[in-house]
Amino acid sequence: MDELKIVITGCVGSGKTTAIQSISDIPVIETDVEASDEVQELKDKTTVAMDYGEIQLGDDQLVKLYGTPGQRRFSYMWEILAEGALGVIILLNHHRKDPIEDLEMYLANFSRYIDQSSAVIGITHLDEELAFAIDRYHEHMAARNLDYPIFPIDARDKIQVRVMVEALAAMVSLNEGVNANAI
Amino acid sequence: MQMQSKIAFGIKDLLKQTLEEMMEQVDEVVGVIAVTTDGHIVAQAARVALPSKRLAAMGSTLMSLGNTVTKELMMGKCRNVISENEKGVVVFMSITPRIVLISLTDNVASLGTLLSASRRYVTDLNAKFKDMRNPNR
Repeated sequence: MDELKIVITGCVGSGKTTAIQSISDIPVIETDVEASDEVQELKDKTTVAMDYGEIQLGDDQLVKLYGTPGQRRFSYMWEILAEGALGVIILLNHHRKDPIEDLEMYLANFSRYIDQSSAVIGITHLDEELAFAIDRYHEHMAARNLDYPIFPIDARDKIQVRVMVEALAAMVSLNEGVNANAI
Repeated sequence: MQMQSKIAFGIKDLLKQTLEEMMEQVDEVVGVIAVTTDGHIVAQAARVALPSKRLAAMGSTLMSLGNTVTKELMMGKCRNVISENEKGVVVFMSITPRIVLISLTDNVASLGTLLSASRRYVTDLNAKFKDMRNPNR
């Protein structure tokens, strides 16, 4: 069976742990602890090491999902977890002060892995603003000449999260096929 | 004086006092930091410059991974994680469910000393915390 490592990253409260919990076929390995700082205003707990889950796509592909901590002081885990990843999912919380700035930060920090693989972007907490709100992300990516799929998602929704993961898996397979043909 | 100490000190002050005492009493220890389980420094004392903020974050990561492993193996709570290295030893030890003690030595032969000293002071801290919660005992 093919195995595919995907890293899910993004800012605090963007839904990384929730997304993996929604979709994983196995009990998720999580490292959430009680938050003692301003994160408490958003949620009770925060990830300090990693989340790990798995999902089987079809009969022959096992996707291993690694969730990173969102807070910057745990950024040393980003590189550790991203090593060997064939795809990166960046989740953004639309309700944060500047989600475009968040996007830029994660694109910069994961550029080495994204350049060698593939990426998709998930926008959470969109509520009813969907049609207009999602445009600003498309416009920003177009201005940066970056062509990654952007998904509005509810991290609690198994089907939505799965569609995003499947899209990334398909991109990875396509890239591998292209690379194989190039050889 | 003892009663005044019980009333006057908050947890941070108590931790600071205890860590400084540990540094005075245990020559092999080069640094000690008390951190929250989500990686913030509560108190520290050291003979050398330490990357305290990063160490605090990493300490919380390691302890949470320790707890994740012990949960998976149904071994109860993780009490400590030991990093034994070419140039020293670091012990990450749970003080309370929310506070972790990180202690360091640059003497690779001092693992036992570091571990027993850490345990002694963690036990002492928990006794003092209990006194703080029940001052009329």
